[in-house]
Order: sequence, then structure tokens, then C-alpha cells
Amino acid sequence: MKRGVLILTFGLLASLIGYCCVYRANTSSARSLQRSDKPELAWLKEEFNLNDAEFKRVAELHAAYLPQCRAMCLQIDAQNTELQKLLANATNTTLEIEAALAEAGRLRSECQTMMLRHFFQVSQTMPPQQGRRYLSWVNEKAFQPNYGMPKE
Amino acid sequence: MKNSDPNADRDPLSRTLRDWRVTTPLPAGFREQVWSRIARTQQPARPSISTLITHWIGTVLPRPALAASYVAIVLVVGVTAGWAQGRRENARMKDELGQRYIQVLDPYQAPRQ
Repeated sequence: MKRGVLILTFGLLASLIGYCCVYRANTSSARSLQRSDKPELAWLKEEFNLNDAEFKRVAELHAAYLPQCRAMCLQIDAQNTELQKLLANATNTTLEIEAALAEAGRLRSECQTMMLRHFFQVSQTMPPQQGRRYLSWVNEKAFQPNYGMPKE
Repeated sequence: MKNSDPNADRDPLSRTLRDWRVTTPLPAGFREQVWSRIARTQQPARPSISTLITHWIGTVLPRPALAASYVAIVLVVGVTAGWAQGRRENARMKDELGQRYIQVLDPYQAPRQ
């Protein structure tokens, strides 16, 4: 009986160790990306097979884009606050509300144009095939009609 | 056997019971079914699952060929499960990083401080 229990335990232990080793080996690339300084850029480099020179250029474009993005965030937040204030006590659409909504739409359009410009610039620093794949991917993630809506 | 109670002949219930004859035939195979049910109840009780497992661990598992097969099988199961789970988790983490890349660049998704 004792020998049987030992064999049973040894088998289960071996199975557990095998599971952990293979699991860790399979997730090592994603974990190393997460540990990096800028995980999303490290991911981009790996996903689109960028060499060091291409990655350097992409990182520069990324760094240059972020301040524009932050400025846009501030504008959007201010516009949203303004719109919420107008809507708080409104019982009907007013000219002010219409103007605020139009401004919100203009901001969204401006924001999307800015993003698209950045995506084109990034795609142009990549090898052509990877550039096309990148554009197709960002299009799916940021410009689909159901963009921003929760998935079913 | 003669009825010893002289009052029994005068009791209508006893008279009716004595004269009662069953004329309905028994269903086919009735006798065999009764005997088989009796035989089933007399069979020894089946050993429980825990008894079977204990017996298997104590006597069957220690056989070298079976022990080696058992260890090999559970090892393969563990490695396969680890491989499948690891691949799924890796894909999920990379998908999350891709989503984070878009979130950083999209003012409508960017995390606010």
C-alpha cells in the first residue's frame, strides 16, 4: 500500500512540475514584455518584428505624439464637463447644447485625424508588409463602427 | 385438515375466504422473475469505489510496468495542460498589451490621472 501511495504521489508531483515548467516557458515572452520599461512599445516591437532602428524611430514618434494626445485629453474633458453642465438642468435642446454637441463631434473628428496621422507615420517606419498589417490592426481596434462600444 | 372451530362454518367471512378461488392466470414468466429477484437480493454487496481504489493503489499500481505507464500518462497530461493554458495566457497577455497600446494613443480611451 505504502509503495502504491508513493508512486501515486510521485506521478501527481511530476505532472504538477511538468505543468508549471511548460506554463512558465509558454508565458515567458509575454511576461518579459510586461516587465519592460514601456510594455506597449515592447509589445509593438515584438508583434511587428521591428529591428532596433525601426523601433527607435517608432519610439520617437510615440514620444512626440503623447503630448498632443494629452492636450487633446484636456480639451475633451473640458468639453465633456461643459456639456454635462448644460445637460444637468436642461429639459429641452437649446442652441447652447447643440453648439456643445457640435464641438464634441468636431473634437472627436480632430482626435481621430490626429491618431490616424500618427498611425500612418508609424506604419511608414515599418517594413511594407508589417506596415500594412499594423494599419489593418489599428483600424480594427480604433476605427471600427462599434468603436468604444462594449462587446457582446 | 378439518376445521376444529365449529363456529367458523357459521362465520360468513371465513366461509367466503374458504370458497374463494383465483381464476386469473399469472403473467408469463412470473415464477422466473420472482426467483431472479430473490437471487439478486442474495448476491454479495458490491465493493465501494473507495475500496476498489485502495485495492488498486495497494496491489495493482506497484507493478513496475503499470507504475511507469501511470507516471508517463499523468506527466503527459500535466505537460499538455500547461502548454495549452500557457499558450492561452500568453495570447491573452499580448492582447492586453495591444489594447494598452491603443489606449495610450487614443484620447477617448487614455487613462485619466
